[in-house]
Amino acid sequence: MSTVIQESQQPISAKFLQFYKDRTLLAILLSLFAVMFVYGIFFTDNYLTITNFKAIIRDAALYGIMAIGLTFVTLSGNFFLLSLKETASICGVTFAMGMATGFGSPDLAGNFMVSLLAALAVGVVSGVIQGYFVGMGGNPIVVTLGGAGILYGIGAWWSDNLVINFTRPHDAEWLGTGSFLGLPSITWSFILIAIAAEIVLRHTNFGRKVYLVGANKAAGKATGHENFSMAIIVFTICSVCCAFVAVAFVAQMDSAQSNYFSAEFGSSGDMTILVIATVMVGGNSIMGGYGSTLRTSLGAIFIAMVDNMMVLQGFNSGPRIVGVGLMIVFSIIVFGLFAKGSRAQE
Amino acid sequence: MKRITKDVDLSFAILLSFCVYVFFAMNIEVFFSHNISFAILERFAVLGLVGLALTICIIAGEIDLSIGSNAALCAVIVVKLTDPLGAPLAMLIGLSVSTLIGATQGFVIAFIRIRAIVITVGTLMLLRGVALLIAEEKTVMLTDFRVPDFITTKVLMYFSPASLTVIFIFICVGIFMRYTKYGREIYAIGGARKEALTAGIPLRRPMIIAFALSGFCAGFAGTVIGLKSGTAQGLGLQYLLLAGTVAAFVGGVSILGGKGGVLGAAIGALTVNFLNTGLVFYALQVHFVQLFTSVLLVIVIVFQTMSRIFDSRQARKSLLETIDERKTALLEKKRTVLGK
Repeated sequence: MSTVIQESQQPISAKFLQFYKDRTLLAILLSLFAVMFVYGIFFTDNYLTITNFKAIIRDAALYGIMAIGLTFVTLSGNFFLLSLKETASICGVTFAMGMATGFGSPDLAGNFMVSLLAALAVGVVSGVIQGYFVGMGGNPIVVTLGGAGILYGIGAWWSDNLVINFTRPHDAEWLGTGSFLGLPSITWSFILIAIAAEIVLRHTNFGRKVYLVGANKAAGKATGHENFSMAIIVFTICSVCCAFVAVAFVAQMDSAQSNYFSAEFGSSGDMTILVIATVMVGGNSIMGGYGSTLRTSLGAIFIAMVDNMMVLQGFNSGPRIVGVGLMIVFSIIVFGLFAKGSRAQE
Repeated sequence: MKRITKDVDLSFAILLSFCVYVFFAMNIEVFFSHNISFAILERFAVLGLVGLALTICIIAGEIDLSIGSNAALCAVIVVKLTDPLGAPLAMLIGLSVSTLIGATQGFVIAFIRIRAIVITVGTLMLLRGVALLIAEEKTVMLTDFRVPDFITTKVLMYFSPASLTVIFIFICVGIFMRYTKYGREIYAIGGARKEALTAGIPLRRPMIIAFALSGFCAGFAGTVIGLKSGTAQGLGLQYLLLAGTVAAFVGGVSILGGKGGVLGAAIGALTVNFLNTGLVFYALQVHFVQLFTSVLLVIVIVFQTMSRIFDSRQARKSLLETIDERKTALLEKKRTVLGK
């Protein structure tokens, strides 16, 4: 009882300090946000416009959704997938095939639901297979590196490495270029998926299991939550998120190719690394068990903000990639130094 | 010989490389010839080095994802500086830059005590950006393409100066890893890090040496590629990571660390080279080469995981058998005592 009274009597500055101590990384991220924001207002033209902020969130949405999926994998202690862009590209090819040809049957051509389900099914299958190998005891990095080559090979083989076009108007326009209440559909999807992921992680049994298995594999195993089923589930979640992003992207472009996500993409030249960067910049522990999808979403918006500002200042892709790379290294080192002696060690 | 028969993974690697070679030699007439052997060794000069780089890192219990970017950065530096400074000085500068980058990575990993995959994902992107900056987002080219001819002249029918140097590097690294204190430290921190640290092995020195070696090998691979083709791109060479990983894993390293060796790396790299060279004859597109290389990786991973599970089952079985034996022995003793 006395402690409660003492806490409530603390001055606000002390409370703030306590909060800062507890959530150092989140606080650092927020302060960086503030610095970038102020810098942007004073030194960049056209930064403080609603259109620009919409553009930032729209950029963030594309890799943010994938990063939210990846957060599940990272939290459960399975590091990350190196096959993100390949999963996305094969799902995109599947969706475009469905929209253009209906997988061989003309009746189904242009049927949005069938194409969407097919793309998601491909994502589920690739996630389950990779998760199976990881759950059996394979290293996630090596398994997904192999998976990446196989998925890309199959996708390119299936589409003959050609661009698959389908013409407007088609049923998927609302997802690709449509908007609702002034925000594009992909932004709405990002917001909804972020909220849903946060609720799942914080308030469901499954979410707590993810944290448990990630924080301490041995304890998880001892209490009956083995990494085997967990790996399959989180890999599937991540692959389905990739499939969804691919469908939205393909619906926007009206076409798909097996290296849509491999060619210079956004600020990084590589979708996979950009998504992993998002998870890391958000301050999630890559060893698992510590972090949240909220951090990931903030990380996505932060990267999009920095990138947007550098574009508006007229930088080329070289300095932009250096910027994102520095952000990752900085966040890793800061996290490592703060967590030294506890979580960062195995 | 004893080493080979004792090590299951190494004998599997030799068997696999032999199978791949025989498959292509049976199907393609010219595969078993002097010129193809020269071509395979030429490719070995690049892939072998990348495989060696990853092998050293994986022996230390870590994995270096940034070797592709490191190689690209080194290639850009070498190609860009060859015109004003001449090839030897440019090579020296490029190699020292990539070795320094590797050593810095090793230092950061040992100092903060994080896993290498975490930091090398960051440096993958950072180095790529730096390479783009140095190349000014263009493809860098040599003005005089006769300059690098010295590394591709044929020596002794099968070799070129590049592949001879690479074989020399292999032998040196092999001796270093096997017979010196510093090399054995790398094995120690990979195989059993806690025990090694408790026994008084410093973490920093072997980690820095392992990553400096890996950076050097990646840089040398980049140099050879850059000088041979006369061009370099900031965003190129990312395929090296997959090829190098396959070479290292075929060569019998274990992701848990502390296992594998230079001989295995050479065999693994040769296997990948046989596959790549053989597929050239079928005139396939690039993605098929990637597909088959990945399939090779998956085969090796499945074999390794299966053999690990088999070993642990076998160990458990023998443990249960010993327990049973002791139980029956005890029971008999009891019976004889009671019978008396």
